[in-house]
Amino acid sequence: MYPAVIQEYLTPTTVDEALDALRRRPRETRVIAGGMSLMQLMKARQAEPACLVDLRKVASLREIRIDGAGVRIGAMVRYKELAADARLHGAYGGLGDAARTIGDRQVRNRGTIGGNLCFNDSAADLPPVMLALDAQLEIARTGGPHRTMPAAQFLRNPREVDLGEDEILTAVLLPPAAPRSGSAYLKYGFTVDGPPVLGVAAAVRLGADGRCAAAALAVGGVLPRCRRAPQAERALVGHSARDQAALAAALETAAQEVDTHTDPWADGAYRKVLLRQLGGQAVAQAFGRAAGGA
Amino acid sequence: MSKPVSITINGQIFEEDVPLRLLLVDFIRDVAGLTGTHVACTWEGRCGACTVLLNGEAVKSCMLLAVQADGENVTTVEGLAADGQLHALQEAFRDRNAIQCGFCTSGVLMTAVDLLAENPEPTDGEIRRGLVGNLCRCTGYVHIAEAVAAAARAMRAAPRP
Repeated sequence: MYPAVIQEYLTPTTVDEALDALRRRPRETRVIAGGMSLMQLMKARQAEPACLVDLRKVASLREIRIDGAGVRIGAMVRYKELAADARLHGAYGGLGDAARTIGDRQVRNRGTIGGNLCFNDSAADLPPVMLALDAQLEIARTGGPHRTMPAAQFLRNPREVDLGEDEILTAVLLPPAAPRSGSAYLKYGFTVDGPPVLGVAAAVRLGADGRCAAAALAVGGVLPRCRRAPQAERALVGHSARDQAALAAALETAAQEVDTHTDPWADGAYRKVLLRQLGGQAVAQAFGRAAGGA
Repeated sequence: MSKPVSITINGQIFEEDVPLRLLLVDFIRDVAGLTGTHVACTWEGRCGACTVLLNGEAVKSCMLLAVQADGENVTTVEGLAADGQLHALQEAFRDRNAIQCGFCTSGVLMTAVDLLAENPEPTDGEIRRGLVGNLCRCTGYVHIAEAVAAAARAMRAAPRP
């Protein structure tokens, strides 16, 4: 398949220029980042934008900044860069896990965090990581201040996001890493680094005694949308990495509270098996990272 | 509808007014006439045969428009050999018969160049994982993985500029 005719291709160099470009042909314009999803839609004629606004020359969207306020990841930061950034460990370890296992080498060289989130496929790796890490998304719009919203609000049903036609996702904001915190992401797909049949992101903060003081568990690859498992999160609190039975029970709680659908890739019961297994491993890895391990 | 672009391929500048929807792979094959870059799937980004280096990084050239490469540097399989001497990867693929029909080979080579640039001493698992974006329907990958490992050893022993 081949893209339909494209009338206009613009390469703004600032976010303001990009916003101006979006207003030229509302409803006929698509923003293109790495293009790993949009190009597929265009070739399949599921998207036929008359105008493409390519963000590749907007330098301000390419930066990863880490300071006391937390982490700010520009929307055009690629998986390759997320995977290679040694600062994204410990509390942010789950982000690196996901970035290192998306697609293949060629995809990781092109695909971006912003493009991934704006596409919001049901079988995507970054959405559950965003939920588990309490990410906020920064959105620029014409003539107004930037707005930020929780990832959970931005990521609606699959392939739907809370983003207006005159808006651009500019950055992902992660809160500062609390001491003794760690996160991890694991998935199962049918091919190596393929799309997740199910993926689990876990994040924990430990008290001085090594027991879990707060936990987040998010599940991707489930319908209608990726989600947290709040009952399981509460069940993790108070336990240490050695409390195997309690951790397993928490994952059983997750398997009960999260609806898992059946599709040609896996039936609902099998997704629950994956949730228990991958979730248990992700939680263990998050505990390890919170305790200072890799 | 169309736009003039200037794309440097293997050190040579190609300037052409191209339709906006033209894929980079077709610029490389039809405008630059470099047909070593292949299309094995139907531009779906699945097979990896069209892999080239964009500013030194492996990308599938069916996954971007030619206009997205305007002003950038592309390296294709034709750019691997230098001064009449094959690249270490090409030598290793030839020596170990890491080729059957050859259709995937140029893409595999380009991905392997990127892989070895990042990781000069990959394990067999790292090689195989590094090549998941390139499908070969003939070889079963055994000779390909061996050839990449052999090339890595050769490149470590005798680095070229």
